[in-house]
Amino acid sequence: MPRTLRRAIVALALIGLMIGLEFGFERLVTDAAWRQLALFAMVNVIVALSLNVINGMAGQFSIGHAGFVGVGAYTGAVVASSLHLWLYQHHHSESAPLFHNSFLVMPIVLLASGAVAGLFGLVVGLPSLRLKGDYLAIVTLGFAEIFRLVIATAQTGGDAGGGLSGALATLGGQNGYAGPNASQLAKTATDPEVAARLLSYENSGVPQYAGPFWIFGAVVVFTIIAWRLKFSGWGRALRALREDEIASAAVGVDPTRYKVTSFVIAAIGAGVAGGLLASMRDGNPTIQPDQFTFNYSFDAITMVILGGSGSVTGAVVGGVFVTFTVKMIEQLQGLESIQALKAAHPSLDLNALRMVVYATVLITLMILRPEGLFGERELFGKAKSDNKKKAPPSGEPEPATVAATVATVAVPAVPEETEAK
Amino acid sequence: MSSAYREEDASHQATASVPVLDLRGVTKTFGGLRAVSDVTFAVPERSIFGLIGPNGAGKTTLFNLITGVYKADVGTIRFRTTDLMPLKPAQIARVGVARTFQNIRLFGQLTVLENVLIACEHKRKAHLLSALLRTELFFRDEEEMKKRALELLAIFDLDSMADEVSTSLSYGNQRRLEIARAMMLDPKLLLLDEPAAGMNYGEAEGLKTQIRWLRDRFDLTVVLVEHNMQVVMGVCEDLHVLDHGETIAHGSPEVVRKHPKVLAAYLGEDADEQLDAEAAARPNENAGQGADEGSSAAPETTELS
Repeated sequence: MPRTLRRAIVALALIGLMIGLEFGFERLVTDAAWRQLALFAMVNVIVALSLNVINGMAGQFSIGHAGFVGVGAYTGAVVASSLHLWLYQHHHSESAPLFHNSFLVMPIVLLASGAVAGLFGLVVGLPSLRLKGDYLAIVTLGFAEIFRLVIATAQTGGDAGGGLSGALATLGGQNGYAGPNASQLAKTATDPEVAARLLSYENSGVPQYAGPFWIFGAVVVFTIIAWRLKFSGWGRALRALREDEIASAAVGVDPTRYKVTSFVIAAIGAGVAGGLLASMRDGNPTIQPDQFTFNYSFDAITMVILGGSGSVTGAVVGGVFVTFTVKMIEQLQGLESIQALKAAHPSLDLNALRMVVYATVLITLMILRPEGLFGERELFGKAKSDNKKKAPPSGEPEPATVAATVATVAVPAVPEETEAK
Repeated sequence: MSSAYREEDASHQATASVPVLDLRGVTKTFGGLRAVSDVTFAVPERSIFGLIGPNGAGKTTLFNLITGVYKADVGTIRFRTTDLMPLKPAQIARVGVARTFQNIRLFGQLTVLENVLIACEHKRKAHLLSALLRTELFFRDEEEMKKRALELLAIFDLDSMADEVSTSLSYGNQRRLEIARAMMLDPKLLLLDEPAAGMNYGEAEGLKTQIRWLRDRFDLTVVLVEHNMQVVMGVCEDLHVLDHGETIAHGSPEVVRKHPKVLAAYLGEDADEQLDAEAAARPNENAGQGADEGSSAAPETTELS
């Protein structure tokens, strides 16, 4: 099969590229801060891609996406730490995470992060997607804040007690979750050998298994998924739904079902992004509740809107653009002239100034391109253009088959034939 | 064995006599307003059934009740043997009840072909996972659906504009596309909400033949809400007249057009006086709705023409 063959070749090439990145990334980008930024941008791309499903494609307005990223991050951090400690204890691997071990750890981490976040998505989405517009926005915001505050205000230290509060306490409260607590575990170990082994563990936070291979790989996979979702009957139904809910229902597209499904898919994507964020190499080895404030949700919305609501390419570009712009403005503060300005006027709040610059950039962009960089279009060929006359039929248009179907129309056929029961 | 056979036979006979659409005692109130009050009627198989009444009579509300957009407070609505009351709009569409809207509701940004494809989305065999993996089934499914959609568009003479954005179509083509989209559901019952709105005399004449053709071509039962008496009287086999949510008359066009209550509802309170006046002097001018087609010869007796 040529299609299968083509896919296999592309997949192999991509895997090769990812392995190359895994080992060559440090040489490619020598500054660890920039490496961290690049990987963080990639995680943000996944966040933007997933938010694009619900905010862009389905036309709902969720402003609590950071909550799902947070759920995924905490799940991922706990799972990765536990697996890492288990590997350390039973397989005598080192304290530092190894690449070959990541093939055991990361799939489980990402599955768990996606599944838990997806479950939360279902629980939040099922009742709230009957609501419209602003009400949904409030529910999602509420979810994200409740999640963050539950973790941030958990009682930590000492005996936090059992049950839910005990479990929450192990997540570290406001200080964040910083890897497995090996010494705590050693106390309860009955086998002295195991206890000694556990005590010798050097905790350096959440094990950072997610190197460039996993992060860039996930970006590629999620871009393909988002693309295929958009250019499928499902994506088409979502667009119809966004245009007219009542008319969609009148032709058999159940609005609630489609909205909940897209919400859950968005939550799963955010969860996976969180799982990657938690164990990102060169990243912060602790996961803190303050990483998932409303600011982060807002950044995600900015990425989607800036790139163009509903556009997969737009989400990718928006994710990278926003991450780097924020960083650039931070870098500006290091400039000598700015430093001199700060020295001259000690009362000047540079942090506030940063937000002014950021806001100016956003406002300018929105004035110049109100529909976002890409609108709903894509970068490559399959333009789903708004008003262009020659929009190709959706799906993956293959000229030959389209021509063939047009040809068969000439022959009077029985429509019922195709309706298999 | 024989008893089983007989049972099957009996059930078959039962379905044959069951009306396609059966409303009993349907009532819907919005706050203090009784929009639809105790409406009962049955639409026989393969008939063309008209639902008429002055503005605000509750006709469109009734359509919305049948298609599940609103839930009736009291009463039963059955499609053949299926109780429609507990079903959601999308489910009702799937069991074979299609509709069009008073103000055309197309998916504006979608192409003509895509508009029609949405209506068979629920029949897709390949589901989300196979769309993600782009399996053979996905491609085959998409191809089959497109083929069917194009066939249908060809029937409605819209296939040449399959790839155009639906809002770029002319008004008449948009109306036809809306019907084509409804037909993609393979419905057994088609509800048309004011299909003649905005049509001139000639177009309305054309619509009459189109509705009959639709019924015969797709083996349908058609219920239409319409103000245009030319269309209603010309095409409907059965009429049900509502006024302020209540049934005021039911029967064939000949019966309904002479029904005093109908005349009163359409011509106003003073219909009796008018009747007298008309009896006295041959009227050249007729008040109200009936005068819309004033170009035709003056009626012998007062009736909705």
